[in-house]
This record gives sequence, C-alpha cells and structure tokens, in this order.
Amino acid sequence: MELTKISFKKYNGKRLNAEELSGYSATYWKDVWRRLMVNPTAMLSLAALVIIIILVIIGPLISGHDISSINPRRANLNPSLENWFGTDNLGRDLFTRVWYGARASIIVALVCTLIQTVTGCLYGGVMAYFGGWVDEVLMRIIEVMTSMPTLLITILTMMVLGNGMVALLVAMSVTSWCGTARLIRGQVMQLREAEYVLAAVALGASPFWVILKHLIPNTFGLLMLTIATSIPDYIFTEAGLSFLGIGLQPPNTSLGVLISIGQQTMDFFPIQLLVPGLILCTIVLAFNLLGDGLRDALDPRMRQ
Amino acid sequence: MLIYTFRRLAEMILTLFIIATATFFLLAAVPGDPISDRVEKLPTQIRHNMYAKYGLNKPLLQRYVITMKGLAVGNFGESIIYPGQTVQSILHDKLPASARLGIQQMVLGITIGLGLGIIAAMKKNTWIDYSIITAAILLISIPHLIFGLLLQKMFAGNLGWFPVIGWPKGKDLWTGGWEYTILPTLTGCFAYIASYTRLLKTSMLDVVNQDYILTAESKGISKARVVLKHVLRNSMIPIITNLPMSIAMCITGSFFIERIFSIPGIGMYYVTSVNGRDLPLIMGQTVIISAIYVTVIFITDVLYTIVDPRIQIQGGRK
Repeated sequence: MELTKISFKKYNGKRLNAEELSGYSATYWKDVWRRLMVNPTAMLSLAALVIIIILVIIGPLISGHDISSINPRRANLNPSLENWFGTDNLGRDLFTRVWYGARASIIVALVCTLIQTVTGCLYGGVMAYFGGWVDEVLMRIIEVMTSMPTLLITILTMMVLGNGMVALLVAMSVTSWCGTARLIRGQVMQLREAEYVLAAVALGASPFWVILKHLIPNTFGLLMLTIATSIPDYIFTEAGLSFLGIGLQPPNTSLGVLISIGQQTMDFFPIQLLVPGLILCTIVLAFNLLGDGLRDALDPRMRQ
Repeated sequence: MLIYTFRRLAEMILTLFIIATATFFLLAAVPGDPISDRVEKLPTQIRHNMYAKYGLNKPLLQRYVITMKGLAVGNFGESIIYPGQTVQSILHDKLPASARLGIQQMVLGITIGLGLGIIAAMKKNTWIDYSIITAAILLISIPHLIFGLLLQKMFAGNLGWFPVIGWPKGKDLWTGGWEYTILPTLTGCFAYIASYTRLLKTSMLDVVNQDYILTAESKGISKARVVLKHVLRNSMIPIITNLPMSIAMCITGSFFIERIFSIPGIGMYYVTSVNGRDLPLIMGQTVIISAIYVTVIFITDVLYTIVDPRIQIQGGRK
C-alpha cells in the first residue's frame, strides 16, 4: 500500500470516539457476501435459482391451464403459443405440470435438507460436547447406519411406510443426517475449548444452551455448504425413486414422475422427456455452482 | 496392525449382524404379508400349506432365529415371487451382470477421472484446467437416468450403433458382448470422472505446497518423478476415503442404469422384490449388498494404513 499525504489527513471531528475512528470493519458474513457478489458464476446461478423459484410459485397460474384438466383432442402437442411446452399424452398442459412437479421436487428437497440439518446439528453437537462414552455410543450408531448403502434404506423405508409424500420425506431423511452429524462433531470438537464456551458454562448455561447458542452458530459456514450440496442430491434421489416406481406416483407430480412418464413416450415425443429433464438439470447445476462459489467465499484459502 | 485388522473384522461382522436384524424387523413391520395377495382365492388347506412352506405361520422370534441361522450358513431361503428358485441361486445368476457393470464403470471412470485431475492440477489456472473443471461440474449436474436415456436415444435409437437394451449372457458373461456394455458403462462412469477429477485436483494442490515437495524439487529430481513419487502418493488419501462412497454409488447407482437398459442385475431384482414384498429375496439381497459394502469399507481401512503409515501408529482412524 502506498502512503501519501492524503492517508494522513487530519481528523477534524468534534469529539473523539475510538469506535468511530476505526475504519469500516466488515463482519465475517459481510465479507463472505462480498466475495460471493464478485463471483459471476455464483451470482448467475443465484439469479437462475431466483427465476426458477418465481416460476415454481407463479408458473402454474400464468399458463392459463389447469394441472389436471384432460383434453384428449389436444394430446401430445408440440410447444405452441397456446401450450408453451406442449401437452402430454392426456392433453394436459406441460408448462403447468412441469412447474407443479418442480415445486414438489424443491419442497421435498428443502424439507429433507431441513430435517437433515437440524438432526445432524443436534446429534453432532451432543456427540462432541459430551464426548466420552456418549460420543462412543452415538458414533457406533452412525457407523452401523452408514454401513448400508443409503438407497437400500430409503427403498426399505418406503416399502414399510407406503407411497406418499410423508413416507418419501422420512425415507430420504433416515440416514442423510449422519454425514452432517459427523461434520458438526468435528467442528464442535475444535470449538469446545474456546473461551466463550468456558465463559458461558461459568455463567451457568445449560449444555443445550451452549450447543444451540454458541457452538452451532459458529459452524454456520460449513452448514450452508452442506445445505447447498444436499439439495441437488435430494432432487436427484427423488427423481430416481420415482423413476424406479418407488417414490411419488401419479396423480402426484414431481420432476421424477414427469421424467418417467416422458421416458415412456421418448421415441415419439422427446419434448415430454426433455423439458422436465432440462429443468431438473438446471436446478441441480445452479445449486452446484452456487455451492462452489459459496465454498470459495467461505474459505478464501481454499481458492485454488 | 494385526490386532487392528482383527478388531475391524469383528466390528464388521457385528455390523452385518445388526443390519440383518434391523432389516428383518423392518420387513416384519410391513403391513400385510407377502403371499396374501396370491393365495386369497385358494382353498384354506392350500393357503395353510403355502404359509407353512415359507414358515410364515411361525411366531416372529422363531422366524428370526431360523432366518439368522440360514444367513450364517449362506442359505437365504426360497423366493416367493419366483417360486422354486432359492434366493442364493437368483443372486448367483444376477450378481455377475451387476458386478461387471460396476467394475467397468469404476475402472473407466476413476482412471479417466484421476488422469484429468492430474492434468488439471499441473496446468492450474490455464484454459485446460478451467475447461476440465467446468465440464466436471456440468457432468455432475446431469442425473444418471437422464444421461442414460439420452445416450440410449442418440446412440442406440437414432444412430443404431449399439443395441438398445440387453446384456451379454452365457459364455459372454464376463468378457464378451462389449457392444451391450458400452452405453451402460458410459452412463455410469461420468459421475466418477466428475467427482474424482475435482477431488484429485484439490488434493494435489494441497500437497504441492508442502515443504517436502520443495525439498524433492531442490534435490534436482525431475518434474515427472516428483509428481509420480511424491505428489501423487500423498494425494491419494482423500481418494481412498472416497472409495467406499463410490462403491455405494456404484451399487445403488446401477439400479437406475439397470432399469434404463433392462440389465438383468441385482438392482432390477431388488426393486422387483420390494414391489412384490418378497421377504426372503429382499433380506438376502440387502444382506449381500451390505456385506459387499462393509467389506469394501474394511479393505479401505486397511489400505489406509498401508498408504499412510502415520495412521497405523495412532492405532486406527479417528
């Protein structure tokens, strides 16, 4: 930094307040946001996500078509001014259905991510905070749960609970929190020795207060990253399960359901597969790129 | 080292036992029973015989003991939706197809992935690096099933270069019928390419900045030798950590690929047996798949101590 005379301009404020004198100090989060803002890819994907979310909310309303009204005479049409993405084999408007489906997929992904994050945080926090035999026992449980491929557990749970939204949410969240719990455990183990934790304990705070108020908030960066990378995973899994005939089934709609319907008519009307497929890929790509940008923004040292 | 291996082996068997128990009781909690749909219209006596044949008339705990005893000696019982076939014979028929698909995917995917990772790390911050990493992110964002369907439509449907569906049988089971295996393998391997490229690049760049690399370079060792002997070996730990996840991805990811290309593998039969409530078959497949997976985790843990001797001293992974 070059020092010129201007750098040493005399301060001519009326009263001297040390707080005001000090330069603009950015908090960690402001810094992260600033670094994210200058990343064009991350901003582009954020914009794409905002547009998709707006379309998911208002898409079905602006098309002028109902989700379930059948019209056999207008079946399997190509995109036109009347039906922007064409129609499906029963003459239902694909534009409406795709956004309805995307809505279901995104809601499923968000709820599962929420369950995963909350459970993982509490479990990991308890594990690391108490340590000793609690840690040992809880870790063993995780080890057993993760020594089975996740999809098997999901399929088995779906089988027990039946097909439906709630069953799907439970089935996809059964083991997903294990990874988050491990991550939080590692973080909290490091933070546990910090002075502010000692201070809180000395002031008589209960363990759960310490975990929730002091430890978890300090792992927020990693959590955001986990959330950004979990959402596309859930969207994938949901689509895959529906494709295998285990997840949501018609008359419910999701991107997975639409893709598996589209696959049946793929040879004759490829548009019915392409549209939900492309939207699925766009959502996932946007989340992945945003996650990448977030990783760089949260930890600039990682930037290669 | 030996004690550590034995301890892990004992843990592995315990884990499998818990998985089998949990699966059994989970399946027992499924409402209804697997053969009620099939025998409803039959006379009472035949129905009773059917239940007796599969041991479904016995109390739950007794069934549990029988099942566990069977599992211990490798007898999984008889399938319900494929009458007359034992679960082990079905597994024996279906596993090779899945195994070949999985191995081909992993070998191809990891080889290309590691190769691209090395290139991306060596040419860091050039257009080569950027295009490899961008391609990896793009590839990771296309789900297996869409990718598979697209490949199938383009190369098998429109161009007719490969058969649309099917899998080599008989004497071609392991080494023949390549034209059938190319599209499924490609579908599966892109996920590996994408993840291993990124993983190795990050890991290599971490290692390159270490002091021992500087030492090696200052001793005048050639660049290729530094990369191969010093950088690469030390970059392998995250790769090995990731292997069990890849195997899981390979087993369960193949569920979709097998469905798309109608490959008679374990994934296709898993879904069929779940939909048909075929308890012995589900039980057998779950245990076998978990056993494969747990074995892989075990091998990985042992591999760890070989690649990174530091872990051995501490006595196990933390």
